[in-house]
Amino acid sequence: MKAPAPRERAFGARTVLFVALRQLWDRKLLNGIAVGGVTLGVLTLIAMSGIMQGFQEKFTRSILKISPHVILYDTELRPEAPLLARHRGGFVAARVAHASPSERQARIKRPDEVVRALRQLPEVEAAAGSLAGMVLIEYGGKTRSIDLRGIELAQQEKVTPVSQYTVSGSFSTLAIASDGLAVGSGVAQDLGLKVGDVVHAAAPGGQPMDLKVVAIYEAGVPPVDKARAYALLRTAQTLLGRPDTIGRIEVRLRDPDDAFRVSARVERIFGYDAESWQEANANFLGLFEMQNMIVSFVIGAILLVGGFGILAVQIMIVLSKQRDIAILRSVGFRRHDILRIFLLQGVIVALVGGLLGDGLGKIALLQLAKLKVHVEGLVKSDTFLIYEDPAFYVWGVLFALVVGVVASLVPAWRGSKVEPVDVLRGQIG
Amino acid sequence: MTEPIVETRGVSRTLGGAGVAPQTILDDVTIDVPRGQFVALTGASGSGKSTLLYLLGALDRPTSGSIRLDGVEISELDDDGRAEFRNERLGFVFQFHFLLPEFNVLENVFLPMLRRGVPRVEAEEHAYDVLALLGLADLWKRRPGQLSGGQQQRVSIARAVANDPAIILADEPTGNLDSKNGALVFDVFAELARAQGRTIVMVTHDASFAERTDRQIVLKDGRVVDDHTRSAPPRAAPANGPQG
Repeated sequence: MKAPAPRERAFGARTVLFVALRQLWDRKLLNGIAVGGVTLGVLTLIAMSGIMQGFQEKFTRSILKISPHVILYDTELRPEAPLLARHRGGFVAARVAHASPSERQARIKRPDEVVRALRQLPEVEAAAGSLAGMVLIEYGGKTRSIDLRGIELAQQEKVTPVSQYTVSGSFSTLAIASDGLAVGSGVAQDLGLKVGDVVHAAAPGGQPMDLKVVAIYEAGVPPVDKARAYALLRTAQTLLGRPDTIGRIEVRLRDPDDAFRVSARVERIFGYDAESWQEANANFLGLFEMQNMIVSFVIGAILLVGGFGILAVQIMIVLSKQRDIAILRSVGFRRHDILRIFLLQGVIVALVGGLLGDGLGKIALLQLAKLKVHVEGLVKSDTFLIYEDPAFYVWGVLFALVVGVVASLVPAWRGSKVEPVDVLRGQIG
Repeated sequence: MTEPIVETRGVSRTLGGAGVAPQTILDDVTIDVPRGQFVALTGASGSGKSTLLYLLGALDRPTSGSIRLDGVEISELDDDGRAEFRNERLGFVFQFHFLLPEFNVLENVFLPMLRRGVPRVEAEEHAYDVLALLGLADLWKRRPGQLSGGQQQRVSIARAVANDPAIILADEPTGNLDSKNGALVFDVFAELARAQGRTIVMVTHDASFAERTDRQIVLKDGRVVDDHTRSAPPRAAPANGPQG
């Protein structure tokens, strides 16, 4: 009886897959444990990334909705040199009676021109001048300091649209009432303020005034809600004793990611200190980076453990399968085939683990998003903030695959080195 | 066919090396086996008969000398080349059944064919036919663990034959069986040699089996000490068997 002739060219791959799958299936428990390790790693990766990025994303969004992307301050970067320095090296006769810091208040010169010039920049969507200062307000016997912003409402709204977070009263009243004040919900709560209440406000060097609360807002960013208040520019200038002064120009960009570049450019053009939102929040962003790094280590460690799971199981299988390897080799399987069988098993374990991890990760994110937790720190939320990026799932499987291949390299190599003769001799004695 | 299917010339095999005193297992073995001959390799334990069989099975390389199988100088083949050669031209039966436990009987038989590139369906059909020929057809679905020793060994033979090899090599195929099953397995070999004209080289301890082959080569301490071909073996001579 003649054996049928070979016709298939992809025989190697198919046969290898056939053997690999069957051997895997026959050791369901062991391989299941290895799969479990990978699943856990990928699940952690997805859940942790979702939570971390969700929180960070929410924070960034909150920052961006309430903060300008670039702020131009009144600090001149190239101030005129002092008198003595200007005449250094030459003859000068001067008598300095008492050197003391200048009392001249810093300000942005020709602010309207600067604002107009800023609006000309292609990256800039809106720009508005304002004045900020610390003000003490008093109500019902309680005194509290607030960060007062004197704004031109219509223009400021284009840069930082606060009015949409109004919880009571009306922001637009601010534009028509020169003694109007919009306070954050935290400030209002602290002092027991309601719309219509009148507070006494004062600042050093300025003229104390009575201001009427016209709006209370809650942006969901505690640092803002608990400290900030808005008044008209002119009112703030009077209150702070800095008439006609623009202390800062806030800029909104078309793309917030340009902020760093734009702020550097703005500094060069106008000679005033400019700060991007990333710089302004560098402490938090730095913290996030650190946080992400720690999380990456944790995920890496778990995936590593998953890899060791594969390694341990595969080594065990290879060592216990010496005889089977000898059989396969004696009936014509090459070293290469054996290597591929075990590598493929590692890849399949990792792939199954990765996909399972993806599925469980998805479920975990869905459940976490429903979990009620009250967060009030940098951002305010009643649930876990989850950010779901399809890339997580791709990364999950990719990492799993890398782990699987790397972990099964040693066992596979070990298996491919099995000499059938050694096994046969051992058996026969 | 005048050209011998197995030709060894001055084959030696030394084991050991690094630190261990080299031990000569085979020393200058020169034999020719004509196509279709049923050869028994006998000798005491440690005489080198298994080593010779592994060399003939392209599982091992000689330290010196040349081995020509079915017209191919196998001592010159690399590892992959020998694997391919084993796959295409050789069939093995070992003392212990050596079947893959995860695969059923049919799969064990057709796996070498699959490796060679035979389409699955054809490989299955052929494997089934071979099993049927050996009276094992109704066992095809079972796993090796569910078979008796004799059945396992007959499945091994089926696997060895299925790829239609030029030479079948058997390493004490009856060594692990009781006399009844041993006789049954030996009869299968005898039948393969007689009816299909297969070339078979079998290592055996059993003198009664050795006597029923065409030729008996006796090894001692790695050398051929006796080699006689029976002019009229106790079984019917194969159609294309040796002529004297």
